[in-house]
Amino acid sequence: MALFRTAEIIKASKLPPEGVKLSRMIDAIYFIPIAYFGVFATFHMHFDLLAGDWDFWVDWKDRQFWVTVTPIVEVMYPGAIMYYFWTFYRQPFGATLSITGLLVGKWITIVLAWYWWANFPANFVMPATMVSSALILDCTLLLTRSWMLTAIFGVWAFAMMFNPSNYPIFAYSHQPVVVDGQLLSLADYMGFTFVRTGTPEYIRIIEVGSLRTFGGHTVWISAFFSAFISMLMFTIWWQIGHFVGQSFFWVKGKRGVRHRANDIMIVGTDEYALRHGTLPGVPTPVLEGKS
Amino acid sequence: MNTKNILKFCVIGSVGMATLGLTLMFSASPAVAHGERSQEPFLRMRTAQWYDTRWNPGKTSVNDEAMLSGKMHIAEDWPRAVVRPSRTFINVGSPSSVFTRLSSKVNGVPMFTSGPMELGGDYEYVIKLRARLPGHHHIHPMLAVNGAGPIAGPGGWMDITGNHKDFTNPIKLLVGGTVDTETAGLGAGIFWHILWGGLGFLWIGWFMVRPMFLIRARVLAQEGGDELMNDPADRVAAYVMLGVCFTIIAIGFFVTDSQYPYTIPLQAGAPLIKPTHLQSDLTMKVLSADYDVPGRALRMTLTVTNNGETPLRIGEFTTAGIRFLNKVGVANNLDPNYPAEIMATDGLNMEDDSPILPGETKDIKLDSRDSLWEFQRLMDLVHDPEQRFGGLVMSWDDSGNRHINSISGAIIPVFTRAQG
Repeated sequence: MALFRTAEIIKASKLPPEGVKLSRMIDAIYFIPIAYFGVFATFHMHFDLLAGDWDFWVDWKDRQFWVTVTPIVEVMYPGAIMYYFWTFYRQPFGATLSITGLLVGKWITIVLAWYWWANFPANFVMPATMVSSALILDCTLLLTRSWMLTAIFGVWAFAMMFNPSNYPIFAYSHQPVVVDGQLLSLADYMGFTFVRTGTPEYIRIIEVGSLRTFGGHTVWISAFFSAFISMLMFTIWWQIGHFVGQSFFWVKGKRGVRHRANDIMIVGTDEYALRHGTLPGVPTPVLEGKS
Repeated sequence: MNTKNILKFCVIGSVGMATLGLTLMFSASPAVAHGERSQEPFLRMRTAQWYDTRWNPGKTSVNDEAMLSGKMHIAEDWPRAVVRPSRTFINVGSPSSVFTRLSSKVNGVPMFTSGPMELGGDYEYVIKLRARLPGHHHIHPMLAVNGAGPIAGPGGWMDITGNHKDFTNPIKLLVGGTVDTETAGLGAGIFWHILWGGLGFLWIGWFMVRPMFLIRARVLAQEGGDELMNDPADRVAAYVMLGVCFTIIAIGFFVTDSQYPYTIPLQAGAPLIKPTHLQSDLTMKVLSADYDVPGRALRMTLTVTNNGETPLRIGEFTTAGIRFLNKVGVANNLDPNYPAEIMATDGLNMEDDSPILPGETKDIKLDSRDSLWEFQRLMDLVHDPEQRFGGLVMSWDDSGNRHINSISGAIIPVFTRAQG
């Protein structure tokens, strides 16, 4: 017994064997060089512009703003990408694709820009990871098959899991050190010791604000707040995906009535052949009812 | 590929080769400074007035310690166009972290975070460094002012020899043990990124092994397509992946929590630094000042009163980290290690260089003249939004005691020698 329903799906697609083969070639070309690199390049730029410094520097990763800002910014792009892959292909990997893509871009930057070019050690510019959150988000969409439930439960988990999943990476940097009689975290000291001419200390936004009511449990309050805003952001960006991701043709049927048709389903029809021509040796079709 | 396409490739290739050739024609010499001359003159002359800057020693090996020290006077006549220094940070202007900073004290107070500075205040800074990257580096003290940006002090050259691979920067933890800031946490960070990245690619790969786009889209557009896509194997995979994610997160969190029982949040206090003030027996008032653009000279007339008990001679005018000295200044304050490119040892002239006697008040014409005005781009003063200048005038008594006055005033440009 087959593991997947692939054979049934291929049969239902009504494509001839050579069409199936061609579709796999399209998958390879479209997915790796176009979709993946396109997403990681644009998402990387989007993320660095909105939350760059929080992710660049170990001494920016505070309990309040880092925890709040990162999930909100990181859920935006996946929202639109998830819409596209889910709505048109029922593929539940939009968030994982976006965030692994972001991290591929980030690691290229860490190695080439921060480490090789600017000579900062990689631990000082270690990025956070939200791949676990993305997997949870994608699994939620697959299981609920509802973007609304995904926004409520999946995005909530997406934001809430950010801090615990990154704690193993950054906990070491919160160990206390004493320098010149001052108590600092190791992250503070690393930010101090590695000279950044264009990034003075005051640019950091460290626990500025009032999300600190529950006896110092700042990080969880921030995560809750971040989760709610992330839900809103996900919804907005899902709709942005809907706005920019529509693709259809206006098709005139045999009875002369115009209707909207999904662009994929028109491929291989006489209407498509009339619009785009035919291969050599294939006669141009004549639609019934037309002279 | 037909002939037309081959021709297209040839044309595109030729354009590319021509572009590459043109690019290589331009020589790209290494950058040797940080654009400090591009900062507007009023910003450099009337904000932080740097003096006694020292780069010590000028030559070090990797892991050796060095010191960047000096003083700065926060000008009373701070420009209106620049945000006041309510939140500042004493920084090092360097091409990347060629030195690590071990300690930074301003008036004896550690300055790990940013704090306010007072107009008219005087601040002595001592920055302890450790050589990290070999090379010939241009190093500046720098005052970063929130809202105004960095204000570069004078730049001096520091050479580092050795191998970067030998560099270590150990720091003792309060809970015991020592870590190296170059490598601390690196292994754990890479491990977790590889683990989560691997799971992410595994998830995508689970769907990549099957037709991904065209076929699924065709099926989905049909009645019942959605149901067909709801593959039970995918649902099982999703449940497994959810379980794996939550389990790994929980294990990672609790194991780490037990590994680091004592952690503290990032620290963001503001140091309160008491300023000192310039000491001088002289009082000075700028009567008039003009700037001789073609002559590259700042000429000022000062009314000076000696309120002390010893005669004083003016020996130096310093502004924007650039020093103009006469014989008195050279005799009393010539630091042979101060960069020659920002110091004019015969750049200060006076019509009457007799000492200012105790109780005496007189008008003194002070002329700081040197090509440095142009070379350091301070002649662009005429393009500033505020036509005012500032600086420090230093005087000495016969015993070598220094008296420093901060001066400022309006300045008028003179565009021809004839008018001067």
